[in-house]
Amino acid sequence: MIKIVHVVNQFFAGLGGEEKAGLPVGVIEGSAGAARALEIKLGAEAKIVSTIYVGDNYFHEHKDDAVRAMLEAMRAVEPQILVAGPAFNSGRYGMTCVEVCNSIANELAIPCVTAMHEENPGVDAYREFANIRVYCLPTAETTAGMTDAMTRLALFAVRLAGGEDIASARQEGYIGRGIRRIEKTERSGAARAVEMLLKKIHDEPFASELPMEVWDDAPPAPPLAQAKDCNLAVVTTSGVVPWGNPDKFKTYRNTYWRKYNIAELKALEPGKWEAVHGGYNVAYMNQNPHYGVPLDALRALEAEGAIGPGKLYPAYYVIPGNQGSPTVMRRMGQGIAADLKNEGVEGVLFVAT
Amino acid sequence: MISKELEKAGLPVALISAMFPVAQQVRANRIVKGVSIPHPCGDPTLSKELDARLRREIIQTALRALEAEVTGPTVFSPAAAMGG
Repeated sequence: MIKIVHVVNQFFAGLGGEEKAGLPVGVIEGSAGAARALEIKLGAEAKIVSTIYVGDNYFHEHKDDAVRAMLEAMRAVEPQILVAGPAFNSGRYGMTCVEVCNSIANELAIPCVTAMHEENPGVDAYREFANIRVYCLPTAETTAGMTDAMTRLALFAVRLAGGEDIASARQEGYIGRGIRRIEKTERSGAARAVEMLLKKIHDEPFASELPMEVWDDAPPAPPLAQAKDCNLAVVTTSGVVPWGNPDKFKTYRNTYWRKYNIAELKALEPGKWEAVHGGYNVAYMNQNPHYGVPLDALRALEAEGAIGPGKLYPAYYVIPGNQGSPTVMRRMGQGIAADLKNEGVEGVLFVAT
Repeated sequence: MISKELEKAGLPVALISAMFPVAQQVRANRIVKGVSIPHPCGDPTLSKELDARLRREIIQTALRALEAEVTGPTVFSPAAAMGG
């Protein structure tokens, strides 16, 4: 018999709606509320030993306490698997499901599965965690998709808990985490590549084995009429920061950006700046930080009038751009964009390494 | 990635990068050819003067890119400032 713990919010536990969103973590023996639909789909080989609920607001306001309480409740029953949700398009609930799965998977080393609509913000967090033990199944946007979601969650949970091999996201239908796995095939890479190329030439459908991140198309921003009349700023992913790295950037996967003052400077003196970045050889950048923040050239152009007096923003923006997850980079981009707009900057010189 | 969020906010961005094919692929709009990945704005094999001149050339190209009307990924090449 497979023992399952089911995590739900106060609503799906049948305890109330928004007015109960402050409920702390609680445990109900067996299955409860709307979450019973999962039990029905499980069949004879698995059983929900307990349902853990938490209020939508409580979880986000007391995350550490909530996770601790859940861990305690789970240790008491030793489940083989955790099921959370489905959260459909409910943002707080989706985030809760993903965060709980990630914490429990790490602490108890058991597989976890959740489900939600692909536009739920929880999906971004799920991709960011890219936890090998956590799976998220796509659902409809609303509870209209309840039966279908519960059926698939139940099937998936039983397979996972039974130690079955789970294939790629494309084959299995869960939401991709961006984890690359080694697979054995009968045919060499060369043969597969040639086959793919021939299909491409003949306009036949084919699927890449290394799908690229899908980039949304941003329409070009309108040009500046005269760059010399506009407020300009430098943004760089080169990782050039003041010597000593005062904000403790890491060489990879940074999650914040900073700006450093250059108002009084004519140039960046070697030895006073350093490049923090794990993705390229920083020796050149350390010898001459202008390769990442070309202040000497900007001041020369300012002196010639190609950049208007006082038009260069008095600080540059930096984030060492190595191995950033697209979600984090997007969020940081939005943060920098908001700050630039707020400061009246009109055009950006962006140095990327 | 970051530069696209800036463009979405309505700020024109001149992206100086040696990886301009990647920049095109991710559909950055105003791309300025940088020298190489570890030193996009200049070339340490040149003399100090030529290196500085090259860097100025790159920034001038970037300013020109900001003034250019573009409809999609467009690469701007700094005229070689390397005298030899």
